[in-house]
Amino acid sequence: MGKNQPDLLPGTLDMLILKTLTRAPLHGYGIAQSIKRLSDDVLTVEEGSLYPALQRLLLQGWVKAEWKMTDTRRRARYYTLTAAGRKQLGLELSQFEQVIGAIGRVLRDAEA
Amino acid sequence: MGRLINKLGILLRRGRFRSDLEEEMVFHREQAEKEFLAAGIAPEVARTLAARQFGNATRVQESAQEAVGFGFEGALNDLRYGLRQLWHSPAFTIVMLLTLALSIGANSAIFSVIDGVLLKKLPYPRADRLVRFFLSSAEYPKFPINPFDFLDFRARNRSFESMAAFTRGDMQLSGFGEPVRLNGFGITSGYFRVLGLHPELGREFDFQAEIPGNGLQIVISDRLWRTRFDADPNIIGRKITLNTQPFTVIGVMPRGTMHPGNEYHALAYGDDVDVWWPFSFAGDPKNRGSHYIEGIARLKPGVSVAQAGAGMNAIMNQLSRELSGQDTGWKVLVIPLYDELVGKSRQMLLVLLGAVGMVLLIACANAANLLLARASSRQKEIAVRMAVGAPRQRILRQLLTESLLISFAGGAFGLALAVVGVKALVSLLPADFPRANDIHVSMPVFGFTLAISILTGLVFGLAPALQAARIDPKQGLQSAGRAAMGSGHQSRLRSALVISEVSLACVLLIGAGLMLRSFLNQLNLNPGFEEEHVLTASLSLPRSRYSKNEQVERFYDRLTMNLSSLPGVESAGAGSDLPWTGWDDNLGGFTIEGKKPPPKQEFHARYHSASPGFFRALGIPLLAGRFFKESDTQQAPQVMIVNRAMAELYWPHEDVVGKRISFEDQPKKDSDWMTIVGVVGDVKDRPDSPGAEPGLWWPQMQSGWLSDLSVAIRSRSSPDLLADALRNEVHRLDPSLAVADVQVMSKIAGNAVATPRFAFVLVGLFAALAIVLAGIGTYGVISYSVSRRTAEFGLRMALGARYGDVLRLVLAQSARFAVVGTAIGVVAALGLARELNGLIYEVSPADPATFFGVATLVVFVALLACYIPARRATHADPIDSLRAE
Repeated sequence: MGKNQPDLLPGTLDMLILKTLTRAPLHGYGIAQSIKRLSDDVLTVEEGSLYPALQRLLLQGWVKAEWKMTDTRRRARYYTLTAAGRKQLGLELSQFEQVIGAIGRVLRDAEA
Repeated sequence: MGRLINKLGILLRRGRFRSDLEEEMVFHREQAEKEFLAAGIAPEVARTLAARQFGNATRVQESAQEAVGFGFEGALNDLRYGLRQLWHSPAFTIVMLLTLALSIGANSAIFSVIDGVLLKKLPYPRADRLVRFFLSSAEYPKFPINPFDFLDFRARNRSFESMAAFTRGDMQLSGFGEPVRLNGFGITSGYFRVLGLHPELGREFDFQAEIPGNGLQIVISDRLWRTRFDADPNIIGRKITLNTQPFTVIGVMPRGTMHPGNEYHALAYGDDVDVWWPFSFAGDPKNRGSHYIEGIARLKPGVSVAQAGAGMNAIMNQLSRELSGQDTGWKVLVIPLYDELVGKSRQMLLVLLGAVGMVLLIACANAANLLLARASSRQKEIAVRMAVGAPRQRILRQLLTESLLISFAGGAFGLALAVVGVKALVSLLPADFPRANDIHVSMPVFGFTLAISILTGLVFGLAPALQAARIDPKQGLQSAGRAAMGSGHQSRLRSALVISEVSLACVLLIGAGLMLRSFLNQLNLNPGFEEEHVLTASLSLPRSRYSKNEQVERFYDRLTMNLSSLPGVESAGAGSDLPWTGWDDNLGGFTIEGKKPPPKQEFHARYHSASPGFFRALGIPLLAGRFFKESDTQQAPQVMIVNRAMAELYWPHEDVVGKRISFEDQPKKDSDWMTIVGVVGDVKDRPDSPGAEPGLWWPQMQSGWLSDLSVAIRSRSSPDLLADALRNEVHRLDPSLAVADVQVMSKIAGNAVATPRFAFVLVGLFAALAIVLAGIGTYGVISYSVSRRTAEFGLRMALGARYGDVLRLVLAQSARFAVVGTAIGVVAALGLARELNGLIYEVSPADPATFFGVATLVVFVALLACYIPARRATHADPIDSLRAE
């Protein structure tokens, strides 16, 4: 939780969550851990953002939630990507790539 | 769509949503803790770390809910919380509600009157294009029009789509039970077209009807048609008996045909007219001295009132040239109908609105003060909420929700009060107040109440809420238990609020004081007649049966003689004008023996007629000479009585009795002259008129052309008892006559001061409310500050301060509020009192007695308000107060 960790780009949290869920259903803690691990500890998802974001995704119908047992026989709420969620993810990814590409071009130009 | 259904689902299973989230977060924390344990961290440390990593659980819950909830859910929570808060402090809630309900209610009631009288459109199509026109000179600002002038105006003007003239002329309907007098107007053709109204049956008069001799046609009201003629569908063409002559009904006007109001023999705006007859006249078009009709017209599109006025004045100048000298000195006055109707009431209503607005401001200041005091006692609660992570915005919203809750509840009660209040207001209104029937608690009033409720809630809630939201949680928690928590900033704000309350109350009290003085002036004024024990009524003798002047003279002579001989009657008389019932500007130009009028002017005075007993019956005193006698008949020399105003105008410092005047242009013979035999006291047109107009009276027995007279009977006991006897005596002489306007003189006199009474009663009520509120405000602040300084007072007492010292300390604080507030109030009142000019009678807007009296009263009330807290301060026990710390 150091101060010099980069913030998530605004609007990307939903996309990251959806992406994380493409491989398997996960609970909230699992999603946070997964994002942290995959980003080599660069991105930390704070719970204050994670749970409201999950509620938002539920509301849009992009994820489903159900209570299941974990490997350690503990009840946890697992989130699964829906078809609509998968479509939304594709949309967000292509938009994101466009933006990143554009930013990259601007930065390269500025250097040259 | 799916999103909405999901949202609704969450809303319906809110409990489930919360517990799911809760469990999820507990799980999250446990997992984190496990991980720390696995990394070899001690269990207690692991737990703390996990908790700290997770952050503020409540906050997560709240923002998760906000993310999925409806916007109003948060507001709903605030509302529930606010209701609970109010429920738990009933005294606070009741004081707040009462204050706001009274002041919002008063505002809504006054606004209802303003809405009905000033804001509602007049019930004529494109009413803003309607204008009234009058003649005007330096001496007579508003004067009726000569019929020939009207014809020329109508023929020559280019500013108006249509023009019409009308004049009051009531009619007696007989042949259907007891004869009744109907309010009637003579109208030129096109009168209803000007107003934009159309008959529901038949038609209105055409130009043919203006020709003398074609006049036996009548248009009647819907009310008359239904009540007297059973809504006969074949009424058109039927003959009805009016003034004992057969009139043919040619039209029926629909319900709600409003009379636009008139100035001479005035009938107020309203649907009280029952018959309209065709106005016609004859005579010499070169002689334009007689003025008795009033004009109304509709502007052409694009023509302004000023342009129309200029056009009419150009015609007037033309006429004056053509008629070589006649019609000079007159200008034409063109006034929008709306201004003519409500102009006189507008100032009073706006003053009332201002006054009641000030009451609302005081109530707001009071409420803000109460809230500030409460906010300080809630400091701890707010600090706790902020410490657990509630953002300032949330606190602000919560506090504003609470104040809006109070103001809405206050508004709702206020509206209920307004419904009752408006009924009371309308009953207090003078009988001739324009558009009193249009006053209701209507949709615009609901809107207004809603708007001021919101505004009030924001105004009084914002300052305390901002103040509270500024609390630093750490400091708040530390100091909340202690008494000394009001910051310097806060107490300055509270003092400023109390001072503004006191100054507003001071302004209102001064206004009320001035109006009270004015009202008393009018009540104590010597009216020039004695209003008690007098019964009055009016009669009109139809010319068809009383065609000769002698018949009229004989009728009134016999009637007054018979009335005088009734038991219990002191004196009885008949005359052409009763005091304070409106008047005619019927001026006669005349010649005074041995005197010449100033250049371009003529001698003039109002003329009236009076029977021998008339002045005595009304209690108008004789100042010189004699009253009329039974012997002043056509056979005797012509005599007259003048009033003091006329005597002093034309014969200053002279003995008036015996002087002669003549109505002949070139008096030669002795019989051309009339001799003044008496001088009577003055009676003004209205109680608040600046002075009496010069007037003269012919003996009734020499002026039979005046056939519509009023009867006055002075009785020894209650005058009401004579009403039946009066009717009997009239019908004994002529069973077809209607006895109209039967009223006791004291009622007429009471009506004449109804307007000042209305204004005074209301401003007085508002001022009383204001001073009570300001008193409560002062009490609140002083008592709060005393409770804060209890320890200090206790200590002072312990160190030897005496009872009086502490008392003085508290009183001084309150006196400061009172003196500063009063000073500001007096200065503001001096500036504002000019707005009362025209509403107050014979009182200077800077009346020193009123200002001094009010200032004393305000200081007294302020000291009274702090007496109880001051007493409490002197009883402060040093030990107790120190222990409380």
